[in-house]
Amino acid sequence: MTIPAVFFIDLLTIIGLFAIISMSLNLEFGYAGIPNFGKMLAVAGGAFFVGAIPGRVLMLIFNPGGGVDFVQGNIEAVSMLNQYFSSDPAASIVYLVLSLVGAGLAGAALGYVASYPAIRLRGDYLAITLLAMAEILRVVGDNYSDFIGGSMGVRIPDPFRWVGGEARALAAALTILAVAVLVFLYLELVLRSPLARALRAMRDEELSAEVYGKDVVRLRTKTLIVGCAIAAVGGALYAFLTASVSARDFSRVTHTFWPWVMVIVGGAGNNVGALVGAGIFVTLRKLITFYKSYFEPFVPFDVVWLEYLLLGLALIVVLLHRPEGLVPERPTKTLARRELEEIVERVRSEEPSA
Amino acid sequence: MSLPLIRDAVIFASLLTMLSTGLTLTYMTTRVPNFAHGDFATMNVYLNLAIVHLLGLSPYLGVVPSFFFGGAIALTLYLAVLKPLLDKGANYVILMVGTIAYDMILLSLINIVADYLNRAYKILTRLFQLKGFDAELFGQPMIFVVAPLLSLVVILLLYFFLSRTKFGIAMRAAIENPSLAEVIGININLTYAFSWFISGGLAGVAGALLPLYMTCNPDIGVRLLISVFAASVVGGLTNIYGAFLGGLLIGLAETLGTGYLSMMVGPWVVPYRPVIPLSLMFLTLLFAPRGLTGIEWRRMFRRVAQT
Repeated sequence: MTIPAVFFIDLLTIIGLFAIISMSLNLEFGYAGIPNFGKMLAVAGGAFFVGAIPGRVLMLIFNPGGGVDFVQGNIEAVSMLNQYFSSDPAASIVYLVLSLVGAGLAGAALGYVASYPAIRLRGDYLAITLLAMAEILRVVGDNYSDFIGGSMGVRIPDPFRWVGGEARALAAALTILAVAVLVFLYLELVLRSPLARALRAMRDEELSAEVYGKDVVRLRTKTLIVGCAIAAVGGALYAFLTASVSARDFSRVTHTFWPWVMVIVGGAGNNVGALVGAGIFVTLRKLITFYKSYFEPFVPFDVVWLEYLLLGLALIVVLLHRPEGLVPERPTKTLARRELEEIVERVRSEEPSA
Repeated sequence: MSLPLIRDAVIFASLLTMLSTGLTLTYMTTRVPNFAHGDFATMNVYLNLAIVHLLGLSPYLGVVPSFFFGGAIALTLYLAVLKPLLDKGANYVILMVGTIAYDMILLSLINIVADYLNRAYKILTRLFQLKGFDAELFGQPMIFVVAPLLSLVVILLLYFFLSRTKFGIAMRAAIENPSLAEVIGININLTYAFSWFISGGLAGVAGALLPLYMTCNPDIGVRLLISVFAASVVGGLTNIYGAFLGGLLIGLAETLGTGYLSMMVGPWVVPYRPVIPLSLMFLTLLFAPRGLTGIEWRRMFRRVAQT
């Protein structure tokens, strides 16, 4: 493949991954107003699940009593499983889908745990609590080596191996984009449902929502369960993309702050905004990384740091001059356009007689 | 208890109090958890490194410029980012993201400076210490005496400032009831800006002393931030003396806890060290969100005595 093709496939893959994560954050913060500064909890949770569970289950199925532990004898185990998967597309796809479903369930469980503080605390106190929860999971993943290999990480069986060679990246990209599209469609449906209107009512004036009979505790719990499940699938997809899991890949900067930046820059409260935010952020980063070799001879430091500098400045400019984001939130149309137009017509025709 | 362990605990707790009182001070005035606070310190880790290596001065002399440099960095965050956002009526999430954006800029500057010092002057700027430049006092490293002393002086000065000076009392009034304070002619903006300067200055002093105590890296502020937040949260986030107590408590719990557990259970617990401040912070927020200073101790003791 040519260099531009590789660049674009890589770009679309990363945009897809961050789109999934930022859309889930948009559900939690943009719709429901929950300041989830522990986004990394669910993302890392999904990836950790994929690193810890499917490999062990596969070893039980294919090599019962074989004496090869998935984490201790990681390289041996994975190469054995890979050999099997490389010749069996059907099994690979089943493995991929089941693992993603499992990661989603694990994420939902983490979301339920996260709802414990989320129904008791509000505002910045909640934000800091969720941040702390995410950090605890990362510290455990980084050190408890029986879980996902500690700081070394684990390799996992590659579900795209049967595609082979250069087409692997394309297959992974298409899978990730397909999931991103599904998530987008699902969240668009949610956005047009009564649930989203209840969430927005809760976000804007919790007490009033409660007065009108909305169960705030249930709504917050539900939102976090769904949001964390989606984010966990995103984390699992990242693990499959690299065919490995390491707690070192996750930090509060990359998997909490960056999605926040995407949602705020793109515009909270609508899914297109989250997509635009993810697209712009990832593209900017990729372009800087891509062209950095041109700058390298002229500056006495690593050009990667310019990237942070530019992103930070851009974010401050957006916050100051367009705090509602590039794509502001709009009232959702709950009826079809034609029906709305008919109603407008009818009201207009009735006006003169009244 | 072994002396090195106690020494570690005392120095760490002292430095932490300087960071947590500053974080709490700005939270009280501006109501924003400042995610850039850790890197206020890191900027001055490198300022002091440059002072020691390029000017050949003692690291203790670097404390003075570090105070002003840290203050200036924090003041810039307030004046250039937070004040305009507050004027537009931004909520706490926008303010938090604003501090995150500023932190990204600081982090990149820190790394640029670290790369530059390393390439231009051949100074070790990653995983370095300045322990070799420390003096000795009573057979102990001087930082063991200076850090706790400075921490005490800071909290006493803050007490004096907030309760005995006119400007300090005005600041307390501005914190308690901004609109009423404005009515009687207190310049709220000035008091808030001053709180940011003090906060950054204290972080700067802590940052200047850090390399005398532990191995430093450009990401040290990001890592320390968890302990600093934990200290402020345990102290109640709205009380400076609480933050001081929280800093002592978290600092001692982290160092002594890890030290003891590694002796009792085994050295494998050492990397789990961040779990101690994280879980203390988590438990405080869930069960006593107003922290140590928010608990009505007298009532609690009475209730315990009754049962």
